[in-house]
Amino acid sequence: MELNIDIVEERNKSVVRLSGEIDVYTAPQLKEKLLPLTKMTGNEVEVDMEFVSYMDSTGLGVFISALKSSNENSSKLKMINLSDRVYRVFNITGLHEIMDLERINKVER
Amino acid sequence: MGEVINSSIEGYKDLLKSFIETQDERSLYGVEMMSKSFLKNNILPEEIVDMHIQALEELYPELSQEVKHSMNFLLEAMISYGIKQQEIQSLKEKQFAIQSEISVAAKMQNTLLKTEIPQAKGIDIGAISVPAHQLNGDYYHFVKGKDDTIGLAIADVIGKGIPAALSMSMIKYAIDSYPEESMKPNVILENLNRVVERNVDPNMFITMIYAQYSPRDNKLRFSSAGHEPGFYYNAKENKFTELKTKGLALGVLGNVQYQEYMLEMKPGDMVIFLTDGVTETKDQGRFIETQEVLDPIKKYKDLSAQEMVEHVFKYFEQLQDFKRRDDFTLIILKKEV
Amino acid sequence: MKPQSSCVRIQKEWDIVGARHVARDMAKELGFGIVDQARIATAVSELARNIYLYAKSGQIIFEKIDTMESKGLSIIAIDSGPGIADIGQVMQDGYSTSGGLGAGLPGVKRLMDEFVIQSEMGKGTKITTKKLVR
Repeated sequence: MELNIDIVEERNKSVVRLSGEIDVYTAPQLKEKLLPLTKMTGNEVEVDMEFVSYMDSTGLGVFISALKSSNENSSKLKMINLSDRVYRVFNITGLHEIMDLERINKVER
Repeated sequence: MGEVINSSIEGYKDLLKSFIETQDERSLYGVEMMSKSFLKNNILPEEIVDMHIQALEELYPELSQEVKHSMNFLLEAMISYGIKQQEIQSLKEKQFAIQSEISVAAKMQNTLLKTEIPQAKGIDIGAISVPAHQLNGDYYHFVKGKDDTIGLAIADVIGKGIPAALSMSMIKYAIDSYPEESMKPNVILENLNRVVERNVDPNMFITMIYAQYSPRDNKLRFSSAGHEPGFYYNAKENKFTELKTKGLALGVLGNVQYQEYMLEMKPGDMVIFLTDGVTETKDQGRFIETQEVLDPIKKYKDLSAQEMVEHVFKYFEQLQDFKRRDDFTLIILKKEV
Repeated sequence: MKPQSSCVRIQKEWDIVGARHVARDMAKELGFGIVDQARIATAVSELARNIYLYAKSGQIIFEKIDTMESKGLSIIAIDSGPGIADIGQVMQDGYSTSGGLGAGLPGVKRLMDEFVIQSEMGKGTKITTKKLVR
């Protein structure tokens, strides 16, 4: 159970590459790294989740706070390369309708 | 502490003597028991080495200087272990204090959230909820209306532990304050969403299904706020289908509308509600598929609803090698034949 | 030819010593070092003591593992006692110490390389452990 967080800062854009599992143990780590990025006005935060093998609802909590913070600070938040398993968690909780998500193979259900 | 050493030294000396003379297993067992009693009394390793030196000198006064020095050397080497042991002991005491506080909280949670499975004509209900740790982040609640309508809520609070437990009681009291008979499931969720959105920490949200069963028309009406989908079992066709629902989890946005769904329960039909602690069971490192969630349900479908939920829980506990990662909640409604 | 397997019945406290003895002898024959011999004997002591205290009677079966791939000792403790209600709980560190058991089952798990526990209420408990020569 480990999560690697790799951040590349470009001009007005931050790319966050995640690999591993997002659960109750690793979520605080992610929150600590992700939230400050969404607080920069005008910043575009792109979270690449291709190598996230598992995410539980604690992980979702982090993305919800990130979304709230990006709305408050006029930054953008986008999650890309979601696997079916990870997308399912966003889908069940209804968050796919209010978040900018891109699945790994864009087959509409 | 010193007393334990003093009263043990004779026994230790006897065991040592017997071992040196015969190398018997009995002395080794004896010293194992003795070392357990030392641990219990917080005797440090350097004190044991010191006792060994004393015993050795009494048994063999002619002992060579080299051996004596080497024993003192060993005693020095033990000092750091002694310090560490004391540190562990003090951490253990602190941990124990925290544990007992949590268990008080868990007891309180049980009292606050107590709900009884209602007895109702024509419908058999079973429910189980087992936390992964002491405090439960899952929750179910039953309400029986005056017209025999049964209301049920199943919920999963995101963000575990104490904050989850606290917000749970808020939800329960909000539900209890609603005039059950007059409120539709979607309206209840809309109201609860406002309560959660306003009053709960922004990182925390709750997924919930609220359902009402009316014995008058055998219909189950339900709405979901981002909760794990349940299942419907059609007895006539002997078929399970997933109950696909739409709806955002509680506490994410301020004003949210929910849809109401309805299904008719015919004799032998079942409805299964659960939390992700059930669907995210891992079998030897691999997540189980949706169909595998149904395996034990199919297997036990002829038992009573309560027996079913208990057997299904045991089945998954075994599958996960007794390492529960998430809270587990399962509710089964069975329309009697 | 030394025996490849052995079985010790546990009924009296004295039997614990017998089980330790068998464990140590077999470990020595297999070429385990002095520290591993002591670890194996302690693990067996713990298993036997659990049987003596909680199940009243049971047995410990020792089997040598000597194949091309691995060499070691397999130890199985079986009883038909009351069984363990919550395995997750007894496998937690610190659980046994409150009852004054000492190392307890988590200790056995640490002393050995492999550890599998099965238990059924009212039927009994079976613990299978292994240690390999390095």
